[in-house]
Amino acid sequence: MPTYTAPLDDMRFVLFELLGADKLAELPGFGDATQDVVEAVLEEAGKFAANELQPINHSGDEEGCHYENGTVTTPKGFKEAYAKFIEGGWTGLPCDPEFGGQGLPKVVNFAVEEMICSANLSFGMYPGLSNGAYNALALHGTSEQKATYLPKLVAGTWSGTMCLTEPHCGTDLGLIKTRAEPDADGSYKITGTKIFISAGEHDLTDNIVHLVLARLPDAPAGIRGISLFVCPKFIPNTSGEAGPRNAVRCGSIEHKMGIKASATCVMNFDGATAWLVGQPNKGMSAMFTMMNAARLAVGMQGLGIAEAAYQGAVMYAKDRLQMRALSGAKFPDKPADPIIVHPDVRRMLLTMRALTEGCRAVSYWVGMELDISRHHPDEKRRQEADDLVALLTPVVKAFLTDHGFHAANLGVQVFGGHGYIREWGMEQLVRDARITQIYEGTNGIQGLDLVGRKLSLGMGRLLRRFFHPVGAYLEAAAEKPEMVEFALPSMKAFAKLQQATAWLAQAGLKNPEEAGAAATDYLRLFALVALAYMWCRMAEIALRKQAGEKAPFYEAKLVCARFFMTRLLPETNTLFATLTSGSQTLMALPAEAF
Amino acid sequence: MTIKKACVVGAGVMGSGIAAQIANAGVPVLLLDIVPKDAADSSVIAKASIDKLLKADPAPLMSKSAAKLIAPGNIEDDLEQLADIDWIVEAIIERVDLKQDLYRKLEGKRKKGSIVSSNTSTIPLAQLIVGLPDSFAQDFCITHFFNPPRYMRLLEVVGGSKTRPEAIQQITEFGDIMLGKTIVHAKDTPGFVANRIGVYWMQAAVTAALDLGLTVEEADAIMGRPIGAPKTGIFGLLDLVGLDLMPHVDLSMAASLKADDPYVKLRRDWPLLTKMIAEGYTGRKGKGGFYRLNTDGGGRVKESIDLKTGAYATSREARLDSADAAKGGLKVLVSHQDRGGQYAWSVLSRLLTYAASLVPEIADNIVEVDQAMKTGFNFKRGPFEMIDQMGAAWFVERLRSEKIDVPAFLDSAAKAGGFYKVEGGKLNYLGTDGAYHPVERADGVLLLSDIKLISKPILKNISASLWDIGDGVACLEFHSKMNALDSDSLGLMKQALDHVGKKMKALVIHNEAENFSVGANVGLALFAANVGLWPMIDDLIGQGQAVMKAMKYAPFPVVAAPSGMALGGGCETVLHASAVQAHAETYIGLVEVGVGVIPGWGGCKEMLIRAQPGPKDPKGPMPPVAVAFETISLAKVAKSAAEAKELKFLRTSDGITMNRDRLLADAKARALKMLADGYQPPKPAELRLPGPTGKTGLNLVVHGFALQGKALAHDVTVSDALAEVLSGGKADHTEIMTEDQVMKLERAAFMKLVKTEPTLARMEHMLTTGKPLRN
Repeated sequence: MPTYTAPLDDMRFVLFELLGADKLAELPGFGDATQDVVEAVLEEAGKFAANELQPINHSGDEEGCHYENGTVTTPKGFKEAYAKFIEGGWTGLPCDPEFGGQGLPKVVNFAVEEMICSANLSFGMYPGLSNGAYNALALHGTSEQKATYLPKLVAGTWSGTMCLTEPHCGTDLGLIKTRAEPDADGSYKITGTKIFISAGEHDLTDNIVHLVLARLPDAPAGIRGISLFVCPKFIPNTSGEAGPRNAVRCGSIEHKMGIKASATCVMNFDGATAWLVGQPNKGMSAMFTMMNAARLAVGMQGLGIAEAAYQGAVMYAKDRLQMRALSGAKFPDKPADPIIVHPDVRRMLLTMRALTEGCRAVSYWVGMELDISRHHPDEKRRQEADDLVALLTPVVKAFLTDHGFHAANLGVQVFGGHGYIREWGMEQLVRDARITQIYEGTNGIQGLDLVGRKLSLGMGRLLRRFFHPVGAYLEAAAEKPEMVEFALPSMKAFAKLQQATAWLAQAGLKNPEEAGAAATDYLRLFALVALAYMWCRMAEIALRKQAGEKAPFYEAKLVCARFFMTRLLPETNTLFATLTSGSQTLMALPAEAF
Repeated sequence: MTIKKACVVGAGVMGSGIAAQIANAGVPVLLLDIVPKDAADSSVIAKASIDKLLKADPAPLMSKSAAKLIAPGNIEDDLEQLADIDWIVEAIIERVDLKQDLYRKLEGKRKKGSIVSSNTSTIPLAQLIVGLPDSFAQDFCITHFFNPPRYMRLLEVVGGSKTRPEAIQQITEFGDIMLGKTIVHAKDTPGFVANRIGVYWMQAAVTAALDLGLTVEEADAIMGRPIGAPKTGIFGLLDLVGLDLMPHVDLSMAASLKADDPYVKLRRDWPLLTKMIAEGYTGRKGKGGFYRLNTDGGGRVKESIDLKTGAYATSREARLDSADAAKGGLKVLVSHQDRGGQYAWSVLSRLLTYAASLVPEIADNIVEVDQAMKTGFNFKRGPFEMIDQMGAAWFVERLRSEKIDVPAFLDSAAKAGGFYKVEGGKLNYLGTDGAYHPVERADGVLLLSDIKLISKPILKNISASLWDIGDGVACLEFHSKMNALDSDSLGLMKQALDHVGKKMKALVIHNEAENFSVGANVGLALFAANVGLWPMIDDLIGQGQAVMKAMKYAPFPVVAAPSGMALGGGCETVLHASAVQAHAETYIGLVEVGVGVIPGWGGCKEMLIRAQPGPKDPKGPMPPVAVAFETISLAKVAKSAAEAKELKFLRTSDGITMNRDRLLADAKARALKMLADGYQPPKPAELRLPGPTGKTGLNLVVHGFALQGKALAHDVTVSDALAEVLSGGKADHTEIMTEDQVMKLERAAFMKLVKTEPTLARMEHMLTTGKPLRN
């Protein structure tokens, strides 16, 4: 059974040494978010994850959720853990104090989410979905809707869902059929079936607040005719508590590959009472604010899994005695050396670690910019931060979840046969990680979002927020002799990304299929360059701090940075070659020849 | 007899506009109107209207100095002056009695053999000359201009049975060559050609929209670009021309056409229109029209009228698949199943059969009709070209399947395979005799589109082509989107110079697009800048400088022949040519500062050279620098070729052609003349520039503007970079600076600016909104 220890040292390093998160406390509304407070919050979150959530991860997977006659029961221990979770105020961490939240920066919540997902991804689904519903209502709800729902969602006594998918439509939401008929009192009656609804029904909270996409009677066809509604399981009564049961019921739960302790529900709306959120027919844009936040959150799930897999693998590699080191016994007193002496095992461990730490740096950077985009006093700075977040959201979602799955697989590999059996919990990580590459927009869709939308927005303005600071930084870093080993390979990869972007702009203009054919490789190339940038900056800090009590931490950083530059970053060459090879080989074979 | 002096009687909008265009052609013109009661100045009406000409926007005059050619007067005191006037245009109110009174007055005074024409749009010629002597009738015709006369290219000329053919010939030549108009010879029938068909189109478009229950947005989304009409569509067009015009035109058409004319059958009373006019909703000039801007509560909400109820509501963009599908051609549009497709078919099936039934009644041939609609209503294609685009046979078949009568002429076109045919490299049209005849171009007209029918380009890439236009002269054509210049355009320019140098005698740079070139491709530059590909931008500047230099010093003449906009890099192309033959409607300027950069392809350098003092100008290094600085830093754009001379974008020796169709031939002739005169490339300029002290002076001026709030933060930065270039950097006025040295400064300044955030913000804003960002 793997154990989990929150990587607080690395989190502190990224937040305060790399990103300067202590400066967040200077932004309006973040006065309380001092370094001391944030560190204390992270420490507590780490404890909660390790002590309360991790122990019920394996059992939750074994037991799964139970469905009976419209009700869903979560696995043993979940209800109790959730009660402690809301008691600790974790659901309100990044929420507005006006509604009872703690108003801490999003980037702090990113770190907390990472820890929750390392410990128990299924559990994390419940508060994660609530946070999505909170965001949508906070941005688009009426003041009455906010007053009714937000304090409950913040307190965690009510939870939330996002009801988008229907049996015949997933990625293409323009096909939605669920109807909303206006009622005389200004409410609506929702009728239709939604599937794959995470946390659609469960026993953790008093009420469940569904955010539902549906079509008004006179709505135009397609994506421009979709509206967003709030539809609670129990209709709030005049005192604001859960009142009469609404006509929305869980028809069944899915039997799935992973995240088995998360209830994935079929939800039947049978004339359920609901209220419009935002403007009629503008549901997609409202949903997108929720979805963008959710995509970043899914990226954090990938990171959490990767960290958990790494920790499990390291423990096993140090413990498991098999064979001798190739250069001769390292532990002659033992019957065999621990497998960590083997280069190939180290290759796996370092790949997991260098990518995980790089992903943490990139995603927390995006988290910081997200906070700046909401709180900075200068509008221009806010816009710039918003641009960067928009640009990197698909990169974070896809690359971190791809890495999560890949790291989980490497974890199984380090364990060998023991990784493949359920007892050790390593195969659960693979199964749990797999969904993160699929939901909130498959990773293929993230690639299309990046090349199709984000690249062209404002004639490439979003790109500027990444390319200019990164280019300028690398150029300056290359001037410093001690940084050359990191800056030079990074600059080469950066130049490849520049060329690939120019290629994409020209080829994509002539033939949209070229952009589609290059999207996945381009996103990965982009991510690796972002990681290279972060690794350079981390190395630069580590170079200055090789003395003192924490010297081993910084030494290890430098080793990982070198490993990244020499063994991982060269993948950019392959990616550049494949993506610029064009769409021809993908499109040549006629469909019937498959 | 050539027309050396003209007179316009009637100083209203049309009369004064016609007078202005005559003055634009450099011909003196007398502008007369009546003497108002109790007027202190009996020529007050004409004088006031000349004042209006100077203020109107878009400007009816091509230069302020043209106004001096218009002499104001009145019909009481100034008729004696008619003795040396060759052409008198009558543009007074549309009343036969008043017009005839005037004609009688003129008859005793006018020069023998002079021509009198009326600008009437509704009164038949035959009616105008009733009771007038033959001596008048033989010199009389109709010259029907379109509003505004400077900008609308159509001039319909109608002769009567008694009109001297030489008079028609003279007016045709003058209208074509001097006034730059496309002449359509119309028959003396109601509405002549363009209005006969255009007014029918408008009626059909309104009627069908009402019958099919379309919203105004939906109707406009189809009746605009998708059918090849101006983007205002139908209701937007009515708002533009004024709703109150409609009943007038309708009444006059209905009254003068035969009862069985399809127009008379189509037209109907439209109570909503009457009500709107009565309530002051006469269009953009009134309280609004089918669209209006609701500014209640300080907002700006675009609203549109509900055609059924007459109530206004927030305008909702039309969503019709057919409008998008129209990119595939008219046939796809009219075959589309949605309301938009049905609407397009309903209107076009009527319009095009009507047009086909009117030849030869309104004009001798289809070419005249197509020309009239293209130049009088700004249609992209004339009715017969539209039929050909769908396929005449297909069109006829569909008409038959819907039991619509097919005019015999249309039927013969379907059988013959269309109204137009390219045979032997020449465009032919179908005559009413059932035979094809070549489309004749007037002497002195040379069209690239004709050359393309008979030849293949010598060189070609995605952005430009090189054509052989005969007599050893080549024509370089830009054809990228908006003719924005990119690496490919420059590359082909270089290849063209090499090719002409080896195998031909001279080069003309010309194209038939709406605009000569809007400048360098900013989108490409911005994208490269966004990803930090600075060398790519730097290379493009270097490439442009090299090509411009090669063009300037080519051993053969290079004649630029621009029309429409020639901005930024387009302007620099014009500046580096050996000579220019410009269309009168050419709009030249170095507008780079609008996107936060400075001219980088030698534009700064050329403006410095052009501003060098003449023998009479003040000496010293500063005046030319100040002139170039003012022109470039304010992004001045000449609103005509005449104004371009004033701003020194053109030399005084450069030529101006009034009629676009004659531009290429004139440019070619100019190149051949330069060759015959023994062309020698120019000697490189040697500049003496003031250096840092000069820059300080310029910056002081900008600083003053900044204090007054006239120059914003980034204006100061851009001006500083410009001042650095124009003052010569570290130059010392005792030393000579070469052209290359100035261009090096241009390149450095450009690169410095393109790396700044506000410059990129300006580029982005320009590309996304089409307007400059003030930051």
